[in-house]
This record gives sequence, C-alpha cells and structure tokens, in this order.
Amino acid sequence: MAQTTGTPAALQRIRPASPRRWGLVALLALLAVAGGVSSALWRANTPDKFGQAAGPWRVSLLAGSVQTDSLTRAQVALGGLLALNRTETMYYVARHDSQGQPLRRRCSYRIKGLAPQGAWWSLTAYDDDHFLFPDDQRRYSINSAQAVLDEGQRFGVRVGASEPASADLPWLPTPGEGGLQLTLRVYRPSAALQTDPTRLEPPLIEQERPCA
Amino acid sequence: MRLSTGGHRLGTWVLLGLLAVLAHQFTLWALPRWIMDRTVKAIAGEPGSAPRRPPLTDHTQRRVVMPSPDLLYATCAWDVSHKPMRVRASLEGVAYASLALYAANSDNFWVTHGGEGPTKAADLWIRSARPAAGQPDAPAGAQVVVAPTDKGLLLMRVLVGDIDRDLARAEDLRQSLRCG
Repeated sequence: MAQTTGTPAALQRIRPASPRRWGLVALLALLAVAGGVSSALWRANTPDKFGQAAGPWRVSLLAGSVQTDSLTRAQVALGGLLALNRTETMYYVARHDSQGQPLRRRCSYRIKGLAPQGAWWSLTAYDDDHFLFPDDQRRYSINSAQAVLDEGQRFGVRVGASEPASADLPWLPTPGEGGLQLTLRVYRPSAALQTDPTRLEPPLIEQERPCA
Repeated sequence: MRLSTGGHRLGTWVLLGLLAVLAHQFTLWALPRWIMDRTVKAIAGEPGSAPRRPPLTDHTQRRVVMPSPDLLYATCAWDVSHKPMRVRASLEGVAYASLALYAANSDNFWVTHGGEGPTKAADLWIRSARPAAGQPDAPAGAQVVVAPTDKGLLLMRVLVGDIDRDLARAEDLRQSLRCG
C-alpha cells in the first residue's frame, strides 16, 4: 500500500530546520531589510519624479505641508529641508533645460520669463549637492528687488561658468564641472498658483551655444 | 512532502518581501526625523538656548541644503514637553519677514509673515498637543500655537533684497527675536 502524506512515516521525513538553514534565512532577512532601505533612499533621492512639471521646472503642492505623504516628506528633507508650505512659498526647481537636457555648469544658459505673481521672488543657482556656488561677489541669485523687467514684465538672467560677452543681463557664475539646479522661489504666491502651480508661465531655460 | 516544502519556501519569500516593504516604509518615515534632529542641533542648539543668528548666507554655508542668499535667518529650538514657550519678534519695516514653526518630522505646521502684510509683530506661545497634567499653560488671551510634536524648530526669515539698502534693518528685526 502506498504511503500518503500525513502518515507518521511521511511526517518523520520532515526534519526540523538546521542552524545552517536558520543562518541562511537570517542572511536573506538582512538582505531584504537592506534592499528595502536602499530602495527607499533611492526613491527619496529621485528629484526628477518630484511633484508636478511646469515646463522644465518641477513643483510640489505638498512640500512643507502637514498633509504630505511620507515619500514627499523624505524627498523634501533630502533636497529642501525647512521648506515652507505653499501658502507662504512655492519652490520651482529645474535640473533640465527647456529642451530636456540636463543642466551642466560649464554650459551657458539664458533664463527668461514672466515675473511670478507673489509678494517677492528669487531665482538661485545651486550645485549638485544643493549648495551655493563659490563667488566672492555674491552673485548667487536674482530677486524681484533687483531684477530689471522689460516692457512685458519679463526678467532675464544668464547662468554658466564663463562670464558672458554681453552684460545686458545679470550673470550667475556656476564654476566647475558637474550639474546644477535652479530654484525659483515665489513668496506669498497668488491664490491661483497655490491651487495649480502649473499655471506659472515657466521661465525658458535655453542653451546660448552648443555645449559639449 | 514536496508540496509542504514548496509551501514553506513560498511562505519564506512572502515574508522576506513583506520585510523589505516594511524596511522601505520605515526608512521613508524615519529619514526626515533623523535629518531634522541633526539639523536642529547643528543650527539651533539645545532647546532653551538663545536664538542663533548666523551671518548672511554665502557659499561657505553648508549645513542646510538650498539656503537662500536673499534671506537673513534666525533660529530657536523648542521643547514644550514640560511647559509652553513664548516667542516674540518684530516683523515690520522690511519688504518681507516671517516666523515659521517646524515639527520634529520637518513639517511646517505654522507660519506668520510681516513686512507688507498685516502682522507687524509676533507674540505667541507654543504649546504641546498633549500637555502633561499640571503643566503650566499660556496666559489667558495669548495667541497659542499647538505643536504636533513636543520638539521642533523656529525659523525666522528676513528679506535682504539689496544688501546696502536692507541689511541693517533686517538685522534689527533679527535681533528682536526672543524665544522663551
């Protein structure tokens, strides 16, 4: 007569886990935890997926907010700690130009756009590590107190490693190699922007000449 | 026996997958809290200490990411687990000034601004959301802000749009900040 599962003989063939097996399970558990932690850190450090797109700029309605989700909170902690909520400030961040190419320090860019609607605004250049570029003349940003607007209420600024030949627009130096990011802050933004940040007419970011 | 071995194996992989998911979620939860704890200690010191007033931001400042070079900052760390904390500051005479409160998880749960806004000065008490029995309360009639966490950070921002024109007045406002 054939033995069926569940018979004493069959049960006797199921051996208790050996120490080696437990060691293997523990190692796999450790790898699972490491994988979970790594995936969270990677996901929190993916700025290209942050918030919504407005042209080459990305913005989140949830930055600084008590209603934000854990992923957004982690992303802001890494790349914009101490952000204010949207009723006070909105942050537009660009890491690509208007053609979708990554911003690079040694390239020369011209940024031109409509002055944002808010109490005041500023546009600042940061390096890959989110800190200011070295410049003894403090050419870190332009803001609404300094910007010269044309007849269409548009501002302009140049960004790049080399000083432009023309001084028609202010220049923010970005020395060195590597990437850069631009942050447009709008303080006390209009109600329309608070509701739909993509209503901002996104400033254009254009390479002034081919950059290898 | 093969079926039970296969079942064990499947169960093990499911548990490992769940473990990875839990680790992922825990990391997202813990990361802002850990960063905030370190940052508060670095830029504001211990709760109860005097407000810190760093120099106008330049490229040598590398404690907090994306600092604004157009703002003068002041900070206070707070701990309201035993008693509320009073905050006072002038916010007028500049184009923009604000006081913001951040919880231990980095959320900005309260902010007021002056400058061209209606608020000319701030005088408020930060209180715990779960005060212990017998803990003193803020004076009657005072503006009270209930903090979602007992510890956190106060950050004052004052606009310096033009250094030559604005820095002196911005510094006056910053010096007016009182915590505790």
